[in-house]
Amino acid sequence: MSDSILIIGGGIAGINAALNAADYGCQVYLLDDTASIGGMMARLDKTFPTNDCSICIESPLMYRVDNHPNIEILTNCEVRRVNRNNGNFEIRLVKKARFVDADKCTGCGTCVEACPVSVPDELDGKIGGMRKLISIPFPQAVPNASIIDPRCRYGKMREQGACIGGCVVDCSQCRECPIALCVKACKDEGKDAVLLWQADKPMDIEVKSIIVCSGIKSYEPSTGTYGYNVYENVITNLQFERLMNAGGPTGGEIVRPSDKAHPKKIAWIQCVGRGDKELPYCSKVCCMITAKQVIITKEHDPSVETLVFYNDLKAYGKGFYDFHRKAVEGGTRYIKGKPFDIFEHPETKNLTIRFEDLDKGELMEEEVELLVLATGLIPSDRNKRLARVLGIELNEYGFFKEKEPLNAPLETNVDGVYLCGGATGPIDISESVVQASAASMKAVIARR
Amino acid sequence: MNNDIRVGVFVCDCGTNIARTVNVPQVVEYAKGLKNVIFAEEGKWSCSVDYLAKLQEAIKEHNLNRVVIASCTPRTHEPLFKKTVKEAGLNPYLLEFVSIREQASWVHMDDPVRATEKAKDLVKMGVAKAILLELGEDFRLPVKQDCLIIGGGMAGMTAALNIAAQGFKAIIVEKQPQLGGLLNKLDRIAPEEVSADAMVKAKAELIAQNENIKVYTNTEIEDIQGYIGNYKVRVKTNGKSEEFDASTIIAATGMKEIEPVGQYGYGDDSRVITQLQLEGLLKSNGLEAKRDVVIINCVNSKNEERGCCNIGCLASVKNAMALKTINKGTRVHILYRDLSIVKDELSYLKDARNMGIKFIRYTEERQPEVSREDSHLMVRVYDLLLGRELKIPADLIVLTTAFEGDSTVDQLKGQLKVSTNPDGFFQEAHVKLGPSDFPSDGLYLCGCARSPKNLKDTCEESMAAAMRASIPMKVGYLEAEGIVADIDLDACNDCGICVKNCPYGAIQLVDDRPNVLKALCKGCGLCAADCTKDAITIVHYSDEQILAQVEAALEEKAQEKIIAFCCHWCALGAVDMAGVSRLQYPPNVRIIRVMCSARVATKFVLRAFELGAAGVLVAGCEFPTCHYIVGNYKAEKRMERVTKKRLAQKGYDPSKLWTAWLSATDGPKFAATMRAMTKQLNLE
Repeated sequence: MSDSILIIGGGIAGINAALNAADYGCQVYLLDDTASIGGMMARLDKTFPTNDCSICIESPLMYRVDNHPNIEILTNCEVRRVNRNNGNFEIRLVKKARFVDADKCTGCGTCVEACPVSVPDELDGKIGGMRKLISIPFPQAVPNASIIDPRCRYGKMREQGACIGGCVVDCSQCRECPIALCVKACKDEGKDAVLLWQADKPMDIEVKSIIVCSGIKSYEPSTGTYGYNVYENVITNLQFERLMNAGGPTGGEIVRPSDKAHPKKIAWIQCVGRGDKELPYCSKVCCMITAKQVIITKEHDPSVETLVFYNDLKAYGKGFYDFHRKAVEGGTRYIKGKPFDIFEHPETKNLTIRFEDLDKGELMEEEVELLVLATGLIPSDRNKRLARVLGIELNEYGFFKEKEPLNAPLETNVDGVYLCGGATGPIDISESVVQASAASMKAVIARR
Repeated sequence: MNNDIRVGVFVCDCGTNIARTVNVPQVVEYAKGLKNVIFAEEGKWSCSVDYLAKLQEAIKEHNLNRVVIASCTPRTHEPLFKKTVKEAGLNPYLLEFVSIREQASWVHMDDPVRATEKAKDLVKMGVAKAILLELGEDFRLPVKQDCLIIGGGMAGMTAALNIAAQGFKAIIVEKQPQLGGLLNKLDRIAPEEVSADAMVKAKAELIAQNENIKVYTNTEIEDIQGYIGNYKVRVKTNGKSEEFDASTIIAATGMKEIEPVGQYGYGDDSRVITQLQLEGLLKSNGLEAKRDVVIINCVNSKNEERGCCNIGCLASVKNAMALKTINKGTRVHILYRDLSIVKDELSYLKDARNMGIKFIRYTEERQPEVSREDSHLMVRVYDLLLGRELKIPADLIVLTTAFEGDSTVDQLKGQLKVSTNPDGFFQEAHVKLGPSDFPSDGLYLCGCARSPKNLKDTCEESMAAAMRASIPMKVGYLEAEGIVADIDLDACNDCGICVKNCPYGAIQLVDDRPNVLKALCKGCGLCAADCTKDAITIVHYSDEQILAQVEAALEEKAQEKIIAFCCHWCALGAVDMAGVSRLQYPPNVRIIRVMCSARVATKFVLRAFELGAAGVLVAGCEFPTCHYIVGNYKAEKRMERVTKKRLAQKGYDPSKLWTAWLSATDGPKFAATMRAMTKQLNLE
């Protein structure tokens, strides 16, 4: 009988659930389908309501996970099949090819320097963030190892100048690549960690319980919403967060897309997408994300003018309202009302926002240099597939459904499968950590 | 004694990452010439499995008793090398880690000569410290399987059931005659519309049946002494004192309404009641049909003193719907600031509006007013949408009031040696990542004792606190790393500053003398740096060891050098980030790692200037983050108020002492600081 626990999702919820269960004495598999644990929190700049630096407080936990004798980290890995047997879960996983031996790779980055092709980054592409075809997800990544974009193989990136683009042989057939610059760079360093021939590998494990913490996704407004994807200087709050981050594509410089100038007047619009088909609920954290962003913007440059169009202020948590006040006292104008029209000035690329100020009952307009759309949080793309594989239900919004929210919180319709974090719905970091500890409590009790 | 010290130095090429810039063979030769160094060697990849085996052989073959690794960053690789030397039979505390990749080769790529010089210095500093390293040990405190839970509301009951489900003992202490807490005053739970009594009854029955749970009702805490694994608890139960032991403690003391005496006629007119009083009336079916009810939200909330109460909006809508259910004809107005209902908000509000409940928004600047007109009450509120004042008659006014921590909290926080915010809600270890923990090990919190919250969140927090408390109880002990404070009682004058300042309550008085509970100590070094008698040693970061590093760094060309004390967590993170990002900065700086910036004593800075250093940098975590809660604040205060004055008194220029508060992503800021400092100090 196995008494291990599988934790699906290596964000802050998964990391906490893993550390709790492992400290308790359980064997833990911590699985993530991306190249590093850390999740969304690792990519944020600061956290509300204290403005703690996000990666500064998360990376010590990531290193603890990495060095914990009871935790096995499985990155770039997916759950394919789950069978129930004798109270245990028999699970077929697939370790997707990384094309780099993560045990041998030291994260030195020489291969990244050698790679000739840059492509838009998944997270930061829209605000100019580029990465190489071989890359390390972020400086504090765990495991700290490179990963190769699968498009690099099979000549798919030939036109972009990929070094192996011209080869006629399928990479999976070759053990000695004489062409790839990353392979050569790694060998020159005395390592041989780049394995372009690597293939996906199945792996079977048996566990007693499962914690699903597969995260949440930032909503991307449809093209045309307040000029998004049409006007250059309209971005989402997640993109703005990346601009603020010293580890982001601009090295922490808040610059607008059209001319890379530092905008002197920035507006935020709250509740973007709320009421849309995908987002029929309040995501509750966006008000505080905006409060944080205006405060940090003013810290970068106090002379920047900031205004926020809001509806109902959600300052529900401990210290949240004080944080909002700090934003107001810092000189940010909060305007009650929803803008109804945005247009771009063809030359300056500035944006004019037309709105009704509900406190004054007047129609007004403001011209800004950058517009940030505070969008909500929607279910992760993973949810549907995971729900099917695990046999657990989704609620009407597409988040995982709790069996009985009051009497049995975080439990699903399958005994032994528990939930925490963004998998349950919009949630902040602190609540994710609470739920992660709670779910790990459930999971260790279920082992008895 | 020094003759017995046999140091081995292992310098890594990191492929070419180090060797491309730093002349590693030169560094190895240099190391061989240092005092007590018996063996030095170059390794292509020190962290590879085959080299680690070689390293272990070298330790045995040359009988090494100190090891210096000069390679990448301790933040990622120290655990690996600690494990390796331990497997070779060496105490892992006899290892010193020197970062010549992030601190030399990657950041001085254009200046191989000075990068090599710097690497030599860093190795010399490492060896100087290694010579003074002493055996370390991990500390353990035994922890038994019994948990005291203070408060028998939903939070306490849920925590107890989870503790007991593992076979551990849970002891609930409740001041009221029965379990249930605040829920005993509520009618139904929104939005699930479950009866509060039924919830309490179900839980209380489970508790009564569970032989692992002992319940004290009508009981108050009289005294708590001790620490994790060893709490002595005295309670007063039904008039008499009783004592028992506990290993861990969960505070689940809940909250209470702040009575709005004198506001909106409350206290003068019996028709003005609080939301909780309305709950009582609904619960006892004691409410006659009303014609006009006005509910005023955010009473004493959302102002300068206090934030959002989190639950008031939902409670007001729920109770408005209940009033409508009793009598369809009752007109109900809710005067609100922001409608802050989070879950299923849209459908919930739609239902309320469909029932005919009216919502009117008001602002902090223009609050509603209540007056008595003839036989009825009149509420005046400025309607922002209409742009004029409305007059609403009322025969019942319900005030949705703010909450504060329970009345027992004042006493309890002294007994537990923890703190609260001004409203009497307990302060957790870290609002984001330590929501269920107090700073001291063994103490946990949950539910409304932390902040107002709904029932579901309370239950989740209770399970979380139960998990946090269960970990040491399951493991059977609490273990701490050997980097701890040690007090020389012969030198100590019992001033008590260390007892007062320790953020973890790890220094407690035993027979009026300070005593370090080593398993609780996190090794930040705050106490040692502030000790006026130099009576406190931090193992692995002792005064002698740090001063030896300062002296080694400044042995040659001191006037060109900057000594930087960097905390392990964020400042060194920024240094590493600068390295990974290949940010180039002048090579004058010599970094000395401390666990926390609070470890940096005035005398370290003074010594650096005595030896002729061009400048000193003290770098810690960016505010408000600190791995040790308050270390960076203490460090900043010390540097600004004490150290700079002492420098001036001794005739050194205080402007040559810099501080930098960095996040782990602040590579650019660290590099910029080094450039600015070098320029300011005319070192270019």
